[in-house]
Amino acid sequence: MEGQSGDVIVTPANRKCSAVTGSARKIKDNAADWHNLMMRWDKLNEEGFNVAGNIVNIKLTRSQSDQLLLVDESSSSSSAGLQQGGGAELQDECCKLQDVINKMVAVVTKMERLMTSQRGIRDLEEFQFGPEGRKFPLFLTWNTKHFEEASRVLLDSFRQELRLKQSILQELAHTATSDLCMVYLSCWLHQPFTPPHTRLTLEALLLETGHRPL
Amino acid sequence: MSKPALLSLHQALRKSFQSLENNQKIWSSVLADCSPLMVSLGNLAEQSRALSNVQISNTPLRDFPDLEEGLRFKLLQATDTVLVKLNEKMSSLQSVRDSISNQVSAVLQLYEQNTDSLDLLTVTERSATAPSLSDMLEWLQDAERHYRQQFLRRKTLLQTLRADDLSLLEAAPKRWKSLESPNAEDRITDTLCKVSFFIESQ
Repeated sequence: MEGQSGDVIVTPANRKCSAVTGSARKIKDNAADWHNLMMRWDKLNEEGFNVAGNIVNIKLTRSQSDQLLLVDESSSSSSAGLQQGGGAELQDECCKLQDVINKMVAVVTKMERLMTSQRGIRDLEEFQFGPEGRKFPLFLTWNTKHFEEASRVLLDSFRQELRLKQSILQELAHTATSDLCMVYLSCWLHQPFTPPHTRLTLEALLLETGHRPL
Repeated sequence: MSKPALLSLHQALRKSFQSLENNQKIWSSVLADCSPLMVSLGNLAEQSRALSNVQISNTPLRDFPDLEEGLRFKLLQATDTVLVKLNEKMSSLQSVRDSISNQVSAVLQLYEQNTDSLDLLTVTERSATAPSLSDMLEWLQDAERHYRQQFLRRKTLLQTLRADDLSLLEAAPKRWKSLESPNAEDRITDTLCKVSFFIESQ
């Protein structure tokens, strides 16, 4: 009885999905992975932004207390104690940011693997069907080159973004001017190297592979 | 002879004050939604200002040639999103204003149609539970004027903003806040208290 009711759950959509094999299966899974990795990236970005904000706050309050120190030499002992406390805190936050960036490096490494796999699929198709690839598209309209192209667009933006974030990590705690701090923070938050085009590419990928209903 | 006119006028006034009460709540909740949006508008302006103040080629970010353009685009895009949301809020405020204006003008029209049958004594007479007709009409008109002016001022402020004019954007949150008029809002709340027995009667 139970086995029968289990069979009923298999809807036409499910059956079609499970019937996808070979290159199509691989491409479809890759698209899902792209989506998940980008979600993970967004989460890390948010986490990192909070830490970066803390770093800037510590930094700015410290530079204020430095100025106070110049004005009022007599209270230097207490200010020095406060400064040391700030230093430890600053180190702590920088380590946290380093952790976030390490996780982002892992995300981009996985993205690179997806790219390699996509290239492998194209090579395989060329081997199977000649230089033009297969005659009929695997899903709706895209050929294998399209998929590779989309992966490249995504990978390029996130590589750039990671490089930018690594520079920000290097510089953030050594920046004295508040304007530059602000620019670092807004670079972190707004991610200038992932234009709207990136999101559209992902959506197109999901639409083509049937993860999003038409 | 003036009884039916008076009764229908009372009924219309009751309806107007009830609608004023509901609309006052909607108005203040929409305005409360606007304040975080105004704050983020100010933040984005501050970020754009910082970007303009910094010469990227003199900073460690000089290795990223497209950075400034990309970041500026993203900031503009974010500003645009906030402005779109604010405009949606303005439509809600507009519908509140329209609803109040329509109610009030309907009551006034009813009054004008019946002026012949309402003598001075009827219009100005008040009791322990009900304010006089003339007072209530005046309060309604005051409230209507308040929302009309508030809407216009806020709408004008938003319409003068431009995504590429930083000083306007930076000043916007403060100007928005300066438009608040707690006194007028309090007066409307007072009015609603004064007519509460009247609304509940019958």
